[in-house]
Amino acid sequence: MKVSMFITCISDAVYPRIGEAMARLLAKYGVALHFPTIQTCCGQPAFNSGYWGEARASAKTILEAFEDSDFVIAPSGSCIGMIHHYPKLFEDDPILVATAERLQKKSYEFTQFLVQVLGVNDVGATFPHKVAYHPSCHGSRILGIKEEPMTLMRNVKGMELLPLPFAEDCCGFGGTFAVKMSDISGAMVNEKADHVLESEAEVLVGLDMACLMNIAGNLRYRNKPIRVMHLAELLYEGVEHA
Amino acid sequence: MTETHQAWLAQMESESRAKQEQFMKGIAGRLGHPRLTNAPPHPFRGAPDFWQSFEWSSDERVQHFTDNFEAAGGHVHRLSDMQEVQSFICSKATELSARYVIHQNETELNNLQLKEKLEDVIVTQWNSGSDEDWIARAAEADIGIVMADYAVSHTGSIVVVSSEDKGRSVSLLPTALIAIIPLERLKTRLGEVLITFDEAGRDQLPAGIHFISGPSRSADIENDLTIGVHGPGVVFAVIVG
Amino acid sequence: MSKTDIKGTTVKGRAELALNDDFLRKAVKFTTERLRDGKRKASDDLGNWEEWRERGRQIRLHTIAHLDYYLNQFANQARLNGVHVHFADTAEDAVKITLAIAERKQSLSVVKSKSMVTEELHLNQALESIGVDVVESDLGEYIIQLAGETPSHIIIPAIHKNRYQIADLLSNEAGETLPPDTAILAGFVRKKLREKFLEADIGMTGCNFAIAETGSMVLFENEGNARMVSTVPSTQITLMGMERIIPSWSDLEVMATLLPRSATGQKLTVYMSGITGPRRQEDGDGPDEMHIIIIDNGRSLQLGDPEFQELLNCIRCGACLNACPVYRHIGGHAYGGTYSGPIGAVLTPALNKNIDQWDDIASASTLCGACYEACPVKIPLHDMLIYLRRRKVERGLGDKMESIGMRGFAAIMSNSKRYENALKVGKLAQRLVVKDGEITSKLGPLKGWNNYRVAPSLAKQSFRDQWGTMEEEIRHGIQEIDPLVSNRMEEIVRNREAGGKGHD
Repeated sequence: MKVSMFITCISDAVYPRIGEAMARLLAKYGVALHFPTIQTCCGQPAFNSGYWGEARASAKTILEAFEDSDFVIAPSGSCIGMIHHYPKLFEDDPILVATAERLQKKSYEFTQFLVQVLGVNDVGATFPHKVAYHPSCHGSRILGIKEEPMTLMRNVKGMELLPLPFAEDCCGFGGTFAVKMSDISGAMVNEKADHVLESEAEVLVGLDMACLMNIAGNLRYRNKPIRVMHLAELLYEGVEHA
Repeated sequence: MTETHQAWLAQMESESRAKQEQFMKGIAGRLGHPRLTNAPPHPFRGAPDFWQSFEWSSDERVQHFTDNFEAAGGHVHRLSDMQEVQSFICSKATELSARYVIHQNETELNNLQLKEKLEDVIVTQWNSGSDEDWIARAAEADIGIVMADYAVSHTGSIVVVSSEDKGRSVSLLPTALIAIIPLERLKTRLGEVLITFDEAGRDQLPAGIHFISGPSRSADIENDLTIGVHGPGVVFAVIVG
Repeated sequence: MSKTDIKGTTVKGRAELALNDDFLRKAVKFTTERLRDGKRKASDDLGNWEEWRERGRQIRLHTIAHLDYYLNQFANQARLNGVHVHFADTAEDAVKITLAIAERKQSLSVVKSKSMVTEELHLNQALESIGVDVVESDLGEYIIQLAGETPSHIIIPAIHKNRYQIADLLSNEAGETLPPDTAILAGFVRKKLREKFLEADIGMTGCNFAIAETGSMVLFENEGNARMVSTVPSTQITLMGMERIIPSWSDLEVMATLLPRSATGQKLTVYMSGITGPRRQEDGDGPDEMHIIIIDNGRSLQLGDPEFQELLNCIRCGACLNACPVYRHIGGHAYGGTYSGPIGAVLTPALNKNIDQWDDIASASTLCGACYEACPVKIPLHDMLIYLRRRKVERGLGDKMESIGMRGFAAIMSNSKRYENALKVGKLAQRLVVKDGEITSKLGPLKGWNNYRVAPSLAKQSFRDQWGTMEEEIRHGIQEIDPLVSNRMEEIVRNREAGGKGHD
């Protein structure tokens, strides 16, 4: 049984502790992750902007990296969502399209894997803080990830999960959108951060570092001392302190 | 219609038929199939199955119709017979200080003898004989009175159809509308009424079929709801039976 | 070109103007939230919303997939009802036919109910150019007509106007000062338009749905003006997009269940009217003469295109506008076309053959998928936006700087060694701008991001840098995997290989 880590470029380069939290948490359930180093980036930034040739160049490293994996896990709904686009992206290549379809079937976002495959609802974490949850768009709408993170969070001892007003509204990242349409993106992230502040949470948690980086950046810019964490980090920290 | 106008229409029609062929060829070509001459099988016709068997009891229909119609700003009354309807109309006419009333040329309404019962009110029977400007009569009316052909409780709607004796204007132009709904015509679902039009077939359909679900309204000005914009601002649904 | 002109030519530029208009943003936000809440409540009350959506989607897909049959049937049946049916390939053709009818009837005034397709055609200006007075009778459309503007929302066209602006416009028309009171303003419009309805010689409508089997057309509205213009004037002209067809009245139940709930949260609009031909000879009202103009104007371009054919499913409910966070911030005019919001971002380019005229409209989206989630007929607008972007790039019309950047991206990301080297270089380079692990500089490429945020820095040690040591440490003390769990995993793999879907 080969279970592989799809670290995602943003986690790899900017937030390596997410990957660490995931690996250590999964180890507690006896899952030893493999990390094929030829992986680079899922190709989403190029794909979303319409540069599919360039997207394929990057995506091929992912196809190759996980060719012989049984399970592929990533700390990101949008990167797994991108894998769901691979059959379309490679539709003109009969060999790679088959690889893409195989990869799609074995790829999981982190909470999906924990809950659906490992059958874990309660990691035994304690995290006595007020927390608000931001459901990233790709994960919740496209992959349908709604129950899994809620289940895991509800079982964290001492944690008060506060409702986030207009939680399902997009944070405004959208990849290159944040730079190309920077003022609209800025307006959207300001609004999202306003809602986070309204919730009176001390910690904002989510499943996607792209969104969280965006919101955290805005909160920091406005000097608001709210801690922003990936759920894997939160759960791991909660387990370590239990 | 003048001869030249008819000739022009005929000319337009032959152009249109030629264009139609072009259109359809183009569409079939783009869709990648030969021109379809037979009706394609349509397995998804109408509402989902679970809905097609959905039905409320008579009491439930009255209750839901009332809730929905009132929520939209309409008024609902339950009366036992046309005698009570007659009294109801008279009292409303007085209450609204109506001077002009118009009603469809239907037996049930004619039998109410409103011309006699409503003193100092000019009562018009739609399209009844003389050469009148019926639209103008409807426009000047304070109250329009119709018999509903159907009603739908799920959406709180009254259904009226047009004919020689039933003008579209009667339920549209007056300031207030009174629609009388015989209980047996009150259905649960929209589909129950709509299917009758499918079953009747093209050549049996009237020019106008109207579902009315309350008083005319608009929220175009700063989302502020206003009632009675073009159609009747006061609507009474009277369920009889 | 003045600064405002430049700002007016791109979505980004217009968006900037919109973002600085406080009233507009508040108004759009308030309205879209109200409509969104309405839809949510209505769909919850109804129950089984997903099943209704799927049904709506199937009916529309089926009709479009057999459009040559159904459109043909509609036209033939409508003619048998006494309707004069016309076909127009382009907007110009449609305008030509309309003007011909107006001239034939020596029309002096036309009274119109709301029709998005007539906005596409810029029909009002054309009629006015031949001396025909055109009046919009929908309250919101009347207001923007007086203001000389285009609608900024498919369902609530004057969302961007406040009551003071509206009072001014109407006072001008009234020749006296009207207070900014909704009831009084609406009362004035009712009276004023009543005269127009009664004196107009042509009534013009759009068409929400056309029923193929009986040649009937269906109108949804709340004010009563569509009923007015199709009952009172002696001639009726209806303009319809060629895709607005459904097979039967039974199918109308599904549309009537989805459309009002999606648009405003109503169970049904106050008026739903099915019109089958002009007046019968014995009728006391209704038009003597009725025309229906069926318009292509780029719609047929979507047929046979697997990426865009579903676009023709659209029932113009506006739910996508109300769900879209971008729309909520910039309003409808920023999109620069007849249609705005997510549907507009796709429809405007799709209907136009020239990709080079699309400017940046397809870029005004984060691809969050809220539109797809909201769409009652499940149009994958979020995917279509990507296809549009790809087509623009394929035609060599992508932004030059962006193309270069993407090529660089591909060069680095196609090879993990190059990627690792790039990280090394990045970590060195960022020393110029990193302070305490953050980047606040707004120089050059950092400006867009850092105008609103603080950027994080690249980690000193990437995950892959750390993995070697980490892996060893982890494997050293690892638990034995629970046999139940490993059995489950093996089962999943077996199912997958046997052709199962994989996981949910």
